[in-house]
Amino acid sequence: MFISGIGIIFTRGRGIDCFENALTQGWIDPSWTDSFPAYRVTKETLSDTNLSKKIRRADKFSKMAALSAFDAYKDSGMTLNNNDEKLGIILSTAFGPHTTTFSFIDDILDYGDANVSPTKFSNSVHNAAASYISTMLDSRGPTITLADFSYPFQNALLLADSWLKEKRCNHVLCGCVDELSTVMEYACKIKLKAAEDGKIRPFMFSDFPVSVLGEGSVFFMLSEKRCKNNYAEVAEISFSWELKKNPDIIIIDADGMAGDETGYKNYSNKGLPITGYSPVFGSMMIGSAFNFAAACLIFKNQLVYRCPVSDNSSSVNSYFLTKEANVNEINCIRICGSEKISIINIKK
Amino acid sequence: MKAVISGIGAISAAGLNLQENLFSMKNGKRNAGPVSLFSTDLTYPVFEVKNFSEKTEMEGMRTFCLAVAAAKEALKDADLLPPLSGFKAGVCLGTTVASQLNDIDFYSAFRKYGKADLKPVERFLLGNLSKALAYLLKANGPSVTVVNACSSGTDAIGIGLSWLRTGICDMVIAGGADELNRVPLCGFGSLGILSKLLCAPFDKDRTGLNLGEGAGILILESEESYIKRGGKPLLYLSGYGTAADSYHLTAPHPEGKGLESAIKSALSDSCVSPMDICFVNAHGTGTNENDKVESTVLSRIFGENIRYFSTKGYTGHTLGGAGGIEAVFTAASLKYGWIPASAGFLSKGDEIPLSPVLLNTSINGSFALSTSLAFGGNNAAIVIEKV
Repeated sequence: MFISGIGIIFTRGRGIDCFENALTQGWIDPSWTDSFPAYRVTKETLSDTNLSKKIRRADKFSKMAALSAFDAYKDSGMTLNNNDEKLGIILSTAFGPHTTTFSFIDDILDYGDANVSPTKFSNSVHNAAASYISTMLDSRGPTITLADFSYPFQNALLLADSWLKEKRCNHVLCGCVDELSTVMEYACKIKLKAAEDGKIRPFMFSDFPVSVLGEGSVFFMLSEKRCKNNYAEVAEISFSWELKKNPDIIIIDADGMAGDETGYKNYSNKGLPITGYSPVFGSMMIGSAFNFAAACLIFKNQLVYRCPVSDNSSSVNSYFLTKEANVNEINCIRICGSEKISIINIKK
Repeated sequence: MKAVISGIGAISAAGLNLQENLFSMKNGKRNAGPVSLFSTDLTYPVFEVKNFSEKTEMEGMRTFCLAVAAAKEALKDADLLPPLSGFKAGVCLGTTVASQLNDIDFYSAFRKYGKADLKPVERFLLGNLSKALAYLLKANGPSVTVVNACSSGTDAIGIGLSWLRTGICDMVIAGGADELNRVPLCGFGSLGILSKLLCAPFDKDRTGLNLGEGAGILILESEESYIKRGGKPLLYLSGYGTAADSYHLTAPHPEGKGLESAIKSALSDSCVSPMDICFVNAHGTGTNENDKVESTVLSRIFGENIRYFSTKGYTGHTLGGAGGIEAVFTAASLKYGWIPASAGFLSKGDEIPLSPVLLNTSINGSFALSTSLAFGGNNAAIVIEKV
């Protein structure tokens, strides 16, 4: 399965070039609300005069998804036929459009059960975002929304791979989206440990790591055959502790969001170069998709971006300067609590 | 490649297990009534699962409890006992309610005081439907929850088929579940598509849908794995098709383009023609637009002699559970050789080209189709085969 396009929206803006700049730039201070740090996506990032008509009723969640999916499509350089039935869309999320859900509940509480907004209800349904994407691209192919707290991106990739192998689709737009809300921030304040200095530390390997919440969306155009614009190839998505041979780089999803991160230490002990880019985009259940995008850029540019935060108390073999490198294979690793771990094996 | 359906289980307002459901349908029982599960100003009739008690440790996780009840029945039918750790077993279930943190009491407290007991949040985080069932059954394969609105259950079954075909799993627990909940009740009410009367799918005087709750689960297995453990296949999931309307967030495409593509894709995936299909278990919600579009598409693809029906007159619209429940009913109809009368239907108007079946009807065929249309313009169809 080949990656031919990437679209991304995160705290520092929109587009793969913007993400590349952020990786080069490294860590920046998050925004702070009541001493609570978070990497938020601004309204300005979501304004798009060309696409605004098709997504005018969409909420923030759907807009982030629709714009990044559209950008992945554009980045791939493909031109789809009208009513294309061979383009699949897979959207995966941990929490869905919960801001709109709470806004809908506001209506119930304020105006009563019989006086709520149908538009809010429509947008509160998880698959509204995927529906906006299919309508925007005029795609009639398979369109699925998944919800998962542990491996939302990995499960989406697994399904995309199945669809391509079954010839159900020629191409799949596969991505993740999640948003912040006051409720979520409140719950995370209590359940997680916020980084007091605003810095996620991927190499803490702590059983109670620090986090800085993030939000955003990232989509990939995936194809069974190599396309003109090619970032890399997904060789395997597995759920096991074993590395695929010895990759050139390991990217870990450590961001303080999934609990105990001591398991990542097993990989640092192997002496292989390890990095992790969560301090650039924030802590998210869908963070794997952003690290996967970073891996794609490493392959394309043959440039390893420095780890955004230089704290290395665990003496990890990592990159603290951005430098050119000959990278042929990367393993993206996610450990979710005491559950099984996932490895995405990507090749040049 | 097709998958063996080695076990089926269902729970709905029509019954606490498959046989009770079939009994209700055979006898035309429609167990609807006012909402009793929560307080609401709305007076629409609903189909609640009665005499079903959640276990204490699962309090507040009604959708999960419904899924567990149907899964236990399906596993028993498949002659399987958890743990399933000896298999490459995946779990793929569809839902709508269980994927949303829509606890009104929690949110109301948070809004009022700026803080609230986080128990509902913890329950929500533990309650991802597929993950929770996989944990309970010790299924070690992939587990993912499909949230494709009303086609979630059918899509989950289709994903299960993909996992088997690509060798990711040798067994998949697939289907859907949803509880009756105040938030979607208000939401569907706001869309103006709930009926004050008992729903009447495809009838000329239909006035909308009734919400319901329940779960339907299929145990899907690779033929090799099933035969290896001594099974003799009777039912198969032959194929799955899905397509988007690319038209509107809440209304189906007026010509049913997406539904037509989904059905044709399911038939092609199953290597069968429309002539091979002996009946269609239609989505048939009882709303004006859904039934018009669906009946038109069925007539266009299958011609005027196709027998079709909706079971929502017995279960209500169970949203994310519907595709699972209706797949179970489709499999059971093939197995037992009869289809139920389409409850609520009396006569068709001009815009409905075909009448659904009016009476319980014997059938003698090998293939049947089950369809789902969803909010967001999703359409899905599966083909089930009896050998």
